[in-house]
Amino acid sequence: MKRLAAIALAASMLLPISTAIASAADIVVGRGASTTAMDPGFLKESATIVDNIFDTLVMRDKEMKLVPGLATSWKAIDDTTWEFKLRDGVKFHNGEAMDAEAVKFTIDRVIDPAAKSPTVSYIRTVESVEVVDPLTVRIKTKGADPLLPTRMSRYPAYIVPPKYVKEVGNDVFARKPVGTGPYKFVEFVPDQHVILEANKDYWRGAPSIDKVTWRAIPDGTARITALLTGEVDLIENVPVDIAPMVKDSPDTDLVQVKNGGLTIYLGLVMSEKPLDNVKVRQALNMAIDRQSIVTNILQGMASPRGTQVGAADFGYKDLPVTAYDPAKAKALLAEAGLPNGFSIKMQSTHRYMKDSEVAQAIAQQFGDIGVKIDQEVLDWSVYTQQVPRKGPIFMLGWGSTQTLDADAAVYAIFKTGEPYSTASIPELDKLLDESRSIVDPAKREAVLAQIQDLAAEQVPVIPLYQEDALYGKAKSVTFEGRPDARIPIFDIKKQ
Amino acid sequence: MKTLSFITGRALQGLVVMFGVSAIVFFALFLTGDPAALMMPPEATREEIEAFRQAMGFNDPIWVQYGRFLASAVTGELGMSLRFQRPALDLLIERLPATALLAMTALVWSSLLGFLLGTIAAVRKNSAIDFAIRVISLLGQAIPVFWLALLLIIFFSLKMRWLPSSGIGSVWHLIMPSIALGAYYLSAITRLVRASLIEVLGENYIRTARAKGISSWRIIVHHALRNALIPVITVQGMYFASLLGGALVTEIIFAWPGIGRLAVEAIQNRDFPVVQAVVLFAAAVFVIVNFLVDLAYVWLNPRIRL
Repeated sequence: MKRLAAIALAASMLLPISTAIASAADIVVGRGASTTAMDPGFLKESATIVDNIFDTLVMRDKEMKLVPGLATSWKAIDDTTWEFKLRDGVKFHNGEAMDAEAVKFTIDRVIDPAAKSPTVSYIRTVESVEVVDPLTVRIKTKGADPLLPTRMSRYPAYIVPPKYVKEVGNDVFARKPVGTGPYKFVEFVPDQHVILEANKDYWRGAPSIDKVTWRAIPDGTARITALLTGEVDLIENVPVDIAPMVKDSPDTDLVQVKNGGLTIYLGLVMSEKPLDNVKVRQALNMAIDRQSIVTNILQGMASPRGTQVGAADFGYKDLPVTAYDPAKAKALLAEAGLPNGFSIKMQSTHRYMKDSEVAQAIAQQFGDIGVKIDQEVLDWSVYTQQVPRKGPIFMLGWGSTQTLDADAAVYAIFKTGEPYSTASIPELDKLLDESRSIVDPAKREAVLAQIQDLAAEQVPVIPLYQEDALYGKAKSVTFEGRPDARIPIFDIKKQ
Repeated sequence: MKTLSFITGRALQGLVVMFGVSAIVFFALFLTGDPAALMMPPEATREEIEAFRQAMGFNDPIWVQYGRFLASAVTGELGMSLRFQRPALDLLIERLPATALLAMTALVWSSLLGFLLGTIAAVRKNSAIDFAIRVISLLGQAIPVFWLALLLIIFFSLKMRWLPSSGIGSVWHLIMPSIALGAYYLSAITRLVRASLIEVLGENYIRTARAKGISSWRIIVHHALRNALIPVITVQGMYFASLLGGALVTEIIFAWPGIGRLAVEAIQNRDFPVVQAVVLFAAAVFVIVNFLVDLAYVWLNPRIRL
């Protein structure tokens, strides 16, 4: 009898567990990063979750065009003033009215130097905010700022409720956020999950998904397994090596967002010899076989690039990818007085798609033209301390997905003296500053094109390729992915 | 009186250790740079990074920063997490139950099974079963945790669909992480029990007991095992202490919300105060557990005097 009971117990333990599979109206999203806080004014992480709780004045549609959000219209009144007309009747989840005061409060609390907002740089051009009437607000900028409407379409410019924030304080607000967005906050358990529920009174209509659970699953294999077993419906950051598992499964799809990721480039510390010589930089640029790297190492999950500007950015110029030409590279080195090549250190890290393998392939290709590479691979937390001062050649990913404007892609890494820039080309500096002072879009586009032409010739950095963004999803869920890396649950349907 | 001086002596030793650890962890973190660059978005200008650095006190001389850190650490204040904007100690305490649960489960099953296998192997020395147990325990120590963890996920979650692949919540969630974490300890304890028991079984007093006609079962349990326990307890104390400091790899792979994961993410984000809190906590647990292990010796073997 005893033995029988033991067998029964053992058998019951072996029975399959019905792993909680989300119902049709619910969705579970698996993310690599843990959420730490959800105050959009003080984020130190991506705004993926926050984006579903809050709204911005200006929004982006699927084609990444700026469209009305909490503002119904906006216009530049003069060179330094933008006026926004606000949507009438929008309420925060706690019933507070969304009005001009809320907009002023939102921006004032971020640009206040005492607040130490880590993302103040995204709206650093804002001088002040003026309430004209409850539904009209004027934003004054320090100089001409053509990008102001774009700045109002992302964090830290998600509109927050003044009364609630003042009442509970910033700390509580970061753990129990209240916004105007399609989803209301329900629960936040650090390192485990964030749960949101649909805001039935949302101004764009009631969302079709009732409940969203954002789970943090740091390990790539565990994240993919959770998708394949149906524990989650959607995952971010699918590792390239195991992406085929998602592609081949009958229940899941791999969502490959072309131009959705960072542009990977080699930074060159131009104050170091021989990188100060333009011929040497051009030679290195020609010595890399980008197509072979993308095809063989990245399995086609990236696109070779001839410019740092993303293909979806305003100001993108479709420059040809630098042709792989080791013979010409060798000749250029000889012209530069280095017929036998030289030795140099190249640093890379573990952060991007197969970055170590790519760095190794590049080192080999440099070796083919006589440039001997001393390769160093560092952990990201150490790497960020050294880049971009050490190098002299270093691999980095840069992106403009948050603004979708060429400015973000080039200014910080081309302009002399910027924290991440190791280039110093006076002619380029002049064009970069010029581009920031023009409001007229057509004129700006022309200057941005000039910048990219000059960069292709002067090689302040060596652009390699732009990564795709990789998501995995259950077949029952509609999700196409966006170049700005957002996951708007409002646009997702589930059968 | 002797006991009291033993305890105060150990407490003082512990304090010295803690002081040393605090200095090492503080200066080691600083050697690799300051966190301002990592905390600010890439578009930040040089002035903005500098202003942030100034505001956070990263510009003061390092010994001033260390003094500030030490002064507040003495009062139990381990600083604010840069990433969470919350006290580092709170974050740690929040995650302690998850880590303790995982550590206990892993240690309990691996100890029980380890004792059983180790005893069988020792009693049946050089038999086929001894050989099998030795091979298994060798494997357990040789297999890296991350590999075992992934194999478990692929088999139990992906192929069989028996267990949830990651996270915390039910008993089922606990199975794979505790197997992955306990496998190493199972092997270590099996080998240790086996070796220690074989040695004890060769002692004169065991031969005497046998000569007196005491049953071999009684000899093993009452006479041999108790004496064989001493090295095992020492090692288990160490294991438990290191497990409470967080299981870095296991917690990351299984998305287990414990101290190990907190530590890894803090290091990746250069969240100094949290790294310091975790290391200091782990050191404190080590000191305390070692002290308890010393006391356990006395209980197990009255020949050891304080």
